[in-house]
Amino acid sequence: MRTLRPLLVLAGLALTGYGFYGLLTDRYIDDPFGVLEWAVGGLLLHDGLFVPLICLAGAALARSTPVRTGLIVAASVTAVALPAVLRAGDDHGNPTVLALPYLRNWLLVLAVIAAAAAAPALLRRRRRHPRKGRAERR
Amino acid sequence: MPTPPEALRRGPLRAGTFGSVLHEPRTAVVLGRWLGAALLTCFLTGLLSHLLQQPPSWLAGALPSRPVNGYRFTQGLHVISGIAAIPLLGAKLWTVYPKLFEWPPARSVLHALERLAIAVLVAAMLLEVFTGLLNTLQWYPWPFPFRQTHFWLGWLATGGLLLHVAAKAPLIAAHWRRVAPGLAQRRAFLTAVTASVAAVTVTTAGQTVPWLRALDLFAPRRPDIGPQGLPVNRTAAQAGTTVAPADWLLQVDGPRPLRLSLADLARLPQVTAELPIACVEGWSASAHWSGVRVRDLLDLAGAPSGAGLRITSLEADGPYRVTEMPASYARDPLTLLALRVNGEVLDPDHGYPARIIAPNRPGVLQTKWVSRMEVR
Repeated sequence: MRTLRPLLVLAGLALTGYGFYGLLTDRYIDDPFGVLEWAVGGLLLHDGLFVPLICLAGAALARSTPVRTGLIVAASVTAVALPAVLRAGDDHGNPTVLALPYLRNWLLVLAVIAAAAAAPALLRRRRRHPRKGRAERR
Repeated sequence: MPTPPEALRRGPLRAGTFGSVLHEPRTAVVLGRWLGAALLTCFLTGLLSHLLQQPPSWLAGALPSRPVNGYRFTQGLHVISGIAAIPLLGAKLWTVYPKLFEWPPARSVLHALERLAIAVLVAAMLLEVFTGLLNTLQWYPWPFPFRQTHFWLGWLATGGLLLHVAAKAPLIAAHWRRVAPGLAQRRAFLTAVTASVAAVTVTTAGQTVPWLRALDLFAPRRPDIGPQGLPVNRTAAQAGTTVAPADWLLQVDGPRPLRLSLADLARLPQVTAELPIACVEGWSASAHWSGVRVRDLLDLAGAPSGAGLRITSLEADGPYRVTEMPASYARDPLTLLALRVNGEVLDPDHGYPARIIAPNRPGVLQTKWVSRMEVR
């Protein structure tokens, strides 16, 4: 570790320096401060708004492990799918871009996640009252 | 450093605000390993893509045209690992979130620098996955060019990762293996994150992985949707090449210049090859392309054996109207001037009257609507 850490620091500084140098000198990036605004803006939105909301939603909704798991998976799928849902059909005249029914697919996947999250509780209730279901059917 | 006044320690700065036991190093280390692997995979495959698409002059001649599916694989992996990084990044940042409100904010100059490096890492990674995801949809709401910015942010993120690993090395080493008995909550959380990565991967990877096609629910493309069952990145209408000129002739400039009509090309030996068209945006699809070997055209034009090509498209403008093809590709027996795809004459969106298709090449360099080839 005594040799690895200084090497990592040197490599990290070199790569970071090269990245900053490139951002500032690339002839196609005429406004590097525009990039900085979006980078800092993203950081503030994520840490200042998004994570607090997630924490509050988690504290309010996620009472059991299956529900918490379901919420985490649903949030992840939404993060990836939402741009396509918002943009569906906006293809600039190229119908092979955004070619799927994203809103329907998203709702479908959320429904599957909700069912999977609710399944353990339903199964447990069934096991606790095994007679009830059979009696009703009779 | 003097102790800061207690009056300032409110809200999240108060000790005990964050109740979960999972804001602890072992969870951060396990997630960090996965996220670090995803980031490094993204960086290396992205670098490779950049080198293939825009090689520096010293490298251009050494680029290999094999393996045939090389670019399809690495660029597919780039987008798959980038999308997988989204839930990993979210989970990792949530785990270490209370650290943001550490008190005092800086214990020393070194500690302040470390936190600054983390800010660079996190900002670069957030913007990197955001721009990457939106690029696959061809959605550009920001004021800067995508490709160059995404490239340079990749260096910043990877450099930031190395600095972060160096700073945290003792902590990482101490928690690399599980020392204390496992936490049930941790196991449940990591299971949820694994399920998240699986969910976002199987619902998007079908744009390039054939056996996941049926589960392609959120990717911007499906590899069988498009004219002649193939997606398109730039249509003929977008390029202004819907109608090819009636007097179209392929011009081949070399020691023995040629001008060939479609009928002339059809009389030359025809070759069929199964080759992928693979886009920088992550989608890819295989097809049977037929046409004339570029190598045969080079020989007819009297080109020397080490010659490369400059290829010009009919399109009026666009960054890839003129492309260079190094000799390694031009001489490959699978590199075609394609006239047909899957047995049909090319659709205008696929480059009618003729397009280039070569193994192991980014899609933007597979020039459509070819009008001129210059031996170089």
